[in-house]
Amino acid sequence: MSFQVMLTELTTGMLITMSIFVLTLICSMPLGFLVAFGRMAKNSVIRRITQFYISVMRGTPLMLQLMVVYFFPWYLFHIPLGSNWRFPAIILGFSINYAAYFAEIYRSGIEAIPKGQYEAAKLLGYSKSQTFIKIILPQVFKIILPSVTNEIITLVKDTSLAYTLSCLEMFSVAKQIAAAETSMVPFAVAALFYYIFNLLVSFIMNRMEKKMSYY
Amino acid sequence: MKKKIVSLIAALSLGALMLSGCGAGKNDDKTFVVGFDAEYPPYGYMDENGEYTGFDLELAEAVCKLEGWTLVKQPLIWDNKDNELNSGSIDCIWNGFTMDGREDDYAWSVPYVDNSQVIVTAADSGIQTFSDLNGKVVGVQAASAALSVLEDPDQQKSLADTFKTLQTFADYNTAFAELQAGSVDAIAMDIGVAQYQLESRGNGEFIILDEHLNAEQYGVGFALNNTELRDTINADLKKLKEDGTFDALAEKYGLSDMTCLE
Repeated sequence: MSFQVMLTELTTGMLITMSIFVLTLICSMPLGFLVAFGRMAKNSVIRRITQFYISVMRGTPLMLQLMVVYFFPWYLFHIPLGSNWRFPAIILGFSINYAAYFAEIYRSGIEAIPKGQYEAAKLLGYSKSQTFIKIILPQVFKIILPSVTNEIITLVKDTSLAYTLSCLEMFSVAKQIAAAETSMVPFAVAALFYYIFNLLVSFIMNRMEKKMSYY
Repeated sequence: MKKKIVSLIAALSLGALMLSGCGAGKNDDKTFVVGFDAEYPPYGYMDENGEYTGFDLELAEAVCKLEGWTLVKQPLIWDNKDNELNSGSIDCIWNGFTMDGREDDYAWSVPYVDNSQVIVTAADSGIQTFSDLNGKVVGVQAASAALSVLEDPDQQKSLADTFKTLQTFADYNTAFAELQAGSVDAIAMDIGVAQYQLESRGNGEFIILDEHLNAEQYGVGFALNNTELRDTINADLKKLKEDGTFDALAEKYGLSDMTCLE
């Protein structure tokens, strides 16, 4: 296999890797808010349930969770999977896992805001939702950005776990080429691909951090 | 706002589903989804052009031509092959798939390749017979036939007991890297795979021991309740043998000495 074919194949894999990455972010970041609110809810039942959810998501390997998500329709309900379930299962598995981590990051940001600000806003006549959206949230974004960047960069590399479900993301492709060519070069190229992608991600996140340093 | 987000997510996931390279097509009667290990040359692997090929995949292609089906090649993680087959995401496992020891677990096609498990070691390791393996580290692929042979008390478990450790690994590339690096002393694998590896790696660095661990046969594995599809494939294999396609493919992949289809 020529180097060029290898690059083309790895790039095709990279597109899948990137779609897993982007879709997971789109699903897990809003979902994380929902979980964070559940975790901070006044209702103790909701709070306990989300607490349990977070502990399971963080306490078991992502690889295992992916397998559970993919195979449970069959093993629990005997619904044949067909071949169109694979990709949605991967996105679902990644999203519910990352939502748990994002939720805790959001919570750390929200709880970092001093109580005095809520009290002051109340005195000034802000409603609860106004206080949250106009005063609290902008500060929360600033506080959590470095932790979110951390998590996003981890996600780029975690996408390789999709190989467990036989998804042809870049790392699986690299493994297959390596097997056929009996060579380790594809892995080196794969490493470079991940690194460049992460450089890009850090660059974008740094720009965002700078934009937010307005006070 | 929330509704918008939800519908956006739904639309995007749907779009991804359609574009995705992972969903390999529908499981209706016009497609034939073959599960295989894409890291298992010469039976199934990625060729110079980035296409999946190999002896087994070309055979499956020939069957599809006879039946007018579309072949869908679904690479598998070998450890997950049973889950994939039972849950219906693939129609069969067709990939240098050893029948022996798994007779009751699948609906099997007729055997088509005579295989044996062998030991590969570095040419300068000084290992020449099984008795030289005493106290050595031997590698074997997880969930492979070679592993079950080495774990079966009726077969080679007594030999495996003389090893220092029996090290399982995920793919042959890693195993050969470890063999070169000296962290394992020998690797147990199928003879067809061993021949491909030795040829591809060249320059006489590795050898196959003359003693074989066992003799066994390859077949196509179907889910136990899927004998209908199995019978169709059996009939097709017979036709392919008669019209010479089967032998031509065997020669192409250097497996002529090993075929056993009648």
